[in-house]
This record gives sequence, C-alpha cells and structure tokens, in this order.
Amino acid sequence: MAENTAPQTTDGEGRVIIRTVGLKKSYIMKDVVTEALRGVNMEIFTGEFISVMGPSGSGKSTFFNMIGALDSPTTGRVFIDEVDVAQLTAEELAYLRCHKIGYIFQSYNLIKYMTALENVTTPMAFGGVQPDQARERGMDLLDLVGLKERWHHRPIEMSGGQQQRVAIARSLANNPSVLLCDEPTANLDLHTGQDILNILRKLNKEKGVTIICATHDHRMMDICDRLMWIRDGQIDRIARRDEVHVEVGGIGGMDE
Amino acid sequence: MKKEINVANQPWLGFSRIIQITVDGIRYRLFRASVTVAVIAVAVAFLMNILSESLIKRSVARDTRDRIHEMRLILDWSSRLTTPGNPESVLREVARSTPGGPIYQEVAGMAGLDEATMTAFHQKCSQGNSYLDFFANLDYAKRRNLIHTATGIGIFRRLQTPNGMEQFTKSLADIHSIRFTTSLDDLNTFLTDWGKLQVQLQAVVAARAKAVAQIRQQLAGKPITDALADATGSFGDTVRQAGFVFDGETVAPLVASQAQAELDVKRLQESMDSNACKQLIAQRANVLPADVNVIMMWKYLGNAKFATRYLERMKQENEKAIAYEQKMKNAPPKAEGETKATIDDTEQGTRLNVAGLVPERLVELAEARDMQASLLRAERLTVGAGLGFMGLGERLAWLLFVSLLVCGIGIANAMLMTVTERFTEIATLKCLGALDGFIMLMFVLESSFLGVVGGVIGAILGALIGLSRMLAAFGLNFAGAIPATDIVVAVFASVAMGMLLAGIAAVLPSFKAARLAPMEAMRIE
Repeated sequence: MAENTAPQTTDGEGRVIIRTVGLKKSYIMKDVVTEALRGVNMEIFTGEFISVMGPSGSGKSTFFNMIGALDSPTTGRVFIDEVDVAQLTAEELAYLRCHKIGYIFQSYNLIKYMTALENVTTPMAFGGVQPDQARERGMDLLDLVGLKERWHHRPIEMSGGQQQRVAIARSLANNPSVLLCDEPTANLDLHTGQDILNILRKLNKEKGVTIICATHDHRMMDICDRLMWIRDGQIDRIARRDEVHVEVGGIGGMDE
Repeated sequence: MKKEINVANQPWLGFSRIIQITVDGIRYRLFRASVTVAVIAVAVAFLMNILSESLIKRSVARDTRDRIHEMRLILDWSSRLTTPGNPESVLREVARSTPGGPIYQEVAGMAGLDEATMTAFHQKCSQGNSYLDFFANLDYAKRRNLIHTATGIGIFRRLQTPNGMEQFTKSLADIHSIRFTTSLDDLNTFLTDWGKLQVQLQAVVAARAKAVAQIRQQLAGKPITDALADATGSFGDTVRQAGFVFDGETVAPLVASQAQAELDVKRLQESMDSNACKQLIAQRANVLPADVNVIMMWKYLGNAKFATRYLERMKQENEKAIAYEQKMKNAPPKAEGETKATIDDTEQGTRLNVAGLVPERLVELAEARDMQASLLRAERLTVGAGLGFMGLGERLAWLLFVSLLVCGIGIANAMLMTVTERFTEIATLKCLGALDGFIMLMFVLESSFLGVVGGVIGAILGALIGLSRMLAAFGLNFAGAIPATDIVVAVFASVAMGMLLAGIAAVLPSFKAARLAPMEAMRIE
C-alpha cells in the first residue's frame, strides 16, 4: 500500500531524514483494542514541506507523535536520520526533542507563567545555551515572527495568532532540522492562519527546515511539496503537489 | 541546507534556572499554593505546639521536683527526728541512698556497721527494693496470681513459704508478658538471706528509735518545729549527737529558715481569730468579716502597704488584749446580782504573738506561700510529663503521628492535583527537551518551598501558642524554667519536618508525571 509514489524532493539532495517501517500503534482500553495505525511505511526527505491530511480519527495525530518521538509505537520502527528512536535513552530522547525537532501544536501549549521571551529561551536553557546568548537569539526569533515589542507579555495577554507565532519562535529555538506542526492554523481565523502559513513557507524556503504539517487547511496544498493522506490508520495516498493540481478539478477528488 | 543529527545526552539545566522556573510557577498559582501552605502550616503548628508544650512541661516538672523537694526538707526532718520508721521504710531509704551520702553514713553510724558490712547491706537493700518495685508496678490480677494478697516485705515472708514460692514460680512461667527483674536463683539467694537482712533492718530501726528517744527527751514536749527553728544552734548539735547526719553548713540553715517560716505562718494565721483583723481584710475584699479566710489574708498581705497596716492592727489587738486582761485582773470581784457589764466585751481583743514581725516579713511569707501554691499546681499539671516516646506521653505521640499522617496525605493530594492539572505543561516541557529529573525536581522543589514557608509560619505560630498557654498555666514564676535552646531546636526540627513531609509527599506524583511519554501526558489531560 505504501511507497506507491516515487520519492520526489524539491531540493536536489533527497536524503531521507525520517523513515518509518511497519509502524503500528494500538490503544487498549478495557479489552477493546483500537488500532490507530496499521503499518505505515513512509520516507520523508530533508528540506521537504509535507502535508499530512485525513479525516479526524484517521491516525494522523498518532502518526505525528510517532515521528516526533513523543510516543512509542506498538510495533514497527521510526528512524530519525537513520537513528532508531526506540534505541535511545531518556537523556538522548530529550536531546533529540530539544535540538533536532521543533513542535508546533494546535493549542499553542505555551507555558502560562512565562513571558514570550522566556517561552522562547526555555528550550535554549534546556539545551545548555548561555542566558545572555539565549536572550539575544530569543529576541531575534521573536523579531522573525514579528513580535519583538511584545517579548515581555504573558500568553494570556496575547491573541491566538500571536501565541501561535511565539510557539513557532519557540520551536525554532535550537535550530531544529525538522518542524512538526499539528494543525497549526486550526484555531485561527483565515487571515492569521495565512500569516502563520507564510512564516512556515519562509522557514522552509530560506532556512531549509523540513516541515511536516498535519492539517485540514486546504491552503496548505498551495505551499507544500508533497501531500499525504491517511485513512483508517494506513496511508491512503501520497502525491506531489503538481500531481494533485493536474489531477484535481474539484477538491472532492482528493478524498476519493 | 543539510543538517546532521548527532544524538547526545541532554545537559542538565542550571540549578538557579530550575528555582526560577519553580518560583515563577508558584507565583502564577499563588492561591492554590497558599492553600497548600495553610495545610502544612496547620500541621506544623500542631506539631510545634505539642513539642514546645511538652518541652516546657518536662523542664518545669524537673524544676518543680527539685524545688518541692527542697521545700519539703522541714517535713522530711521533722518526721525523721520523731519517728524511727519500720524495716520496710528503712529498706527503701537505704536502697535509694547513694553510697557515701548522708543517709548511708547515718545508717552505718547508728547501727555501727563497718564499711564492708554496710556495702553488703546496701546492696541487699537495693535488690530487695527492686523486687518490691517490681511487685508494686504489676497490675492487680497479675500480682494476685503471683503472690496472692501479700504487700510490702510481707511478700518476702510469703515467698519463703514453700507454698507461696511454688505458686510464684508456676504463675511466672504461665504469664509470658512478665519479665522478672533478676533470675530466680538470685531471688532464692536473697530469700535465704532475708532473715539476716531483716535482723539488720530491725537493728537499724532500734538504733533509730534510740536516737529519736534522745531527741524527744531534749524536746521535753515542745513541738519539733520550734526546736528546728534553732537548727543552726544548739539543737543542731543535739541532733548530730543523737547520731543523725545533719550538715550544719548546707542543710541546717535551710531547715532552720523553713521552720521559722512555718512558725511565723502559724502566728499570722492565728490572727484570723481576731475580728478586728478580719474586718481590715473584709473592707478591702468587700465581703463580710465572717467570710474572710486565710487565702484572702495571704492575698492581702502580698501588698507592702496593706501588710504594714495589718501588722499595726495586730499589734493594737494584742495591746488591747493585754490591757483587757489587766483590767479583768484588777476588776473588783463580781458582786451578787451584778453582771459583768462593767467591762465592755468589744474591748476584749485577742492575744497575738507579734514579736519580731515586720511588714517585709509578712510580704515575704505571702510571696513564699504564693510560690508554694504555684509549685504544687505545677506539680499537679506535670504529672507524667517526660514519659513515653520523646517525652511526649503515649497519647500525644500517637496523636502527633496521626496528625502528621493526615497532613502528609493532604499535601500529597494537593500535589497530585497540581501535577494532574499541569500535565500539558509537563508534556510541553518534555517536548522542549526537559529531562525526567528536571520535571521531578521542579515539583519536589515547589512542594519543599511550600513546606518551608508553611513550616516557618506553623512553627512560629505553634511555639507562640504553646509558650503562652504554658505561661498561663504555670505563671510567670516558671519563666526561668523555659528551655529556650530546646524550643529553638524544636522550631528548626519542625520546619525541617514540614519541608520533608511536603517533599516526600510530592515525590510519587511527580515521579509518575515525569515518567510519562509527552503525548500520553497530554492525552490523560
């Protein structure tokens, strides 16, 4: 079922950064086994912008957590840069999450009692960056997302869009190789969502960050390199954007 | 752009930064934190209150025992100089005396025992005393099983009979909860020697009786207290001659002053026979003269001005009485049909012995009486102080344990709630690269901070309450007996206890939280 699409990348390199092999995850609740993922084989390349789409309950988020080393699979393996995640110790996992992967959540998940700048510098502190240096870089990152003047504001003093932008700045704190976005625009209005998408696009193009984005937002299709559909815990379809555009007369065709 | 992923170990976060994050977190949830602090403060205040009260009680008890012992020196000596005692009391006295002490020397001197004999005698007495204590401390049922109804040295008499001994050994083997003080062989040796010991004890009693008779002869019907007032003078010599060890340097002055005080007190209390004196007090206390009692008198005499006035009145009364007597003597013999009306009854007065009394003495006696009353009250209040676990008494120690348990569970619950409601935050921090240890440390530190704050508040509160309660109970007379260093140590100990309690209560919830995979934590929430 998987790998029916030839891997295509935009920037010539084409090195695999995340690979999953036979990924399965099942949740057991009172003897009822719910299979969220039923064997996903997938390769994601460096510098790619890939959208993961699918109806709710399709296993999208579960897949996401697996490749972000946030949860452990029931069977199967996740390789991040050819390193098996299951083999890592707790300290190494923490290092991986801190330095190599940036996370952006649907509900922002900022630390409520920290200011915007503190939120951005906390991962740097975890990574062992000196406080002065961290503050400087934090301000740069806030500038990047356009929130330089609001560095001292707490999350409750900011709008959703601003919070999400702080979250993006935070995810970039330690120059991650991979950015995992779990429906980053779902809680935002059209205009703010567009801002966020623009920032993501810019990051992908200018800094070469691999972006993996779970989304329902159809605008995402305009900016991503590849699209992946998940249904019932399996890969339904993987397609490059241009293929989709060729194929699609109406949006309904995507869901088949 | 290509980026390498080299997996390495995550470094530890600086301690100051951990504290900063923790404090920020507490400040953000100030209300919840203050509730936790209140729980800890109440528990620690309870602990500290009990600790400080029992510390003060114990110290006051020790102080009181010493002072009461001193206070009763006069009673001790007047009974020793007038009654020879019996074999049992001699046995107990000798057993309690220290070798070389006054009683030890006295007994040896009176009975004419040489040093080796006296040492053996003392040892035997100690052994016998330990047996008597053993039987005295048993409850009724067990004692009855062991020795039937025998008491005192009658126990030894009973054990000497084959029947009594058989019952004793049999019951001792049956009742497993009893542990006899020595081996049965030792008891048997003691019993075979008991006859000899009894003879020795009788000899001591006889010697004492002789000495007492000598004293009594000297007294010639005078009360012993009157004589003891002269303990530093010739009567002291008499006592020493009779064979008593009566130290003229340390003991005699004390006994003499106490005897003198007792005599003066008696003289003052006799003034209660006088209506005029009563009237003075009645005016002050706003009661009828007939209702005036000795307690009121002592209260009245505590004031120097009133004491002067009272003494004045006593002297007047005395003079009046002397004058009246004179008049009665000079009055013409009663004629037939004539009544005694020629002499006014109100002029009668009362004979009072006011020789040598000054107002200062009256005040002094009133104060001493006050002191004695507070000593007796303190003795009553400190019964059983210093027993059981840590000197708290069994009941209090148990109560303390239960309260700490309840408080520990309360804190654990509070921490569990805090941890549960912060699962998202924990998951986020883990996504940002926080180590499990950091998460745990964060919560344990937070809890410990709250523990220290609550502990300090509680310890100060508890100490103040305990201190004021004890001062109210014992009076300012005992301010000197308050063990300041002990209380300071107890304050630190209870703060540490609060911190420890809070820290330990946080370990389990935070351990649980830290071990979760980030996404599991988010899902639970």
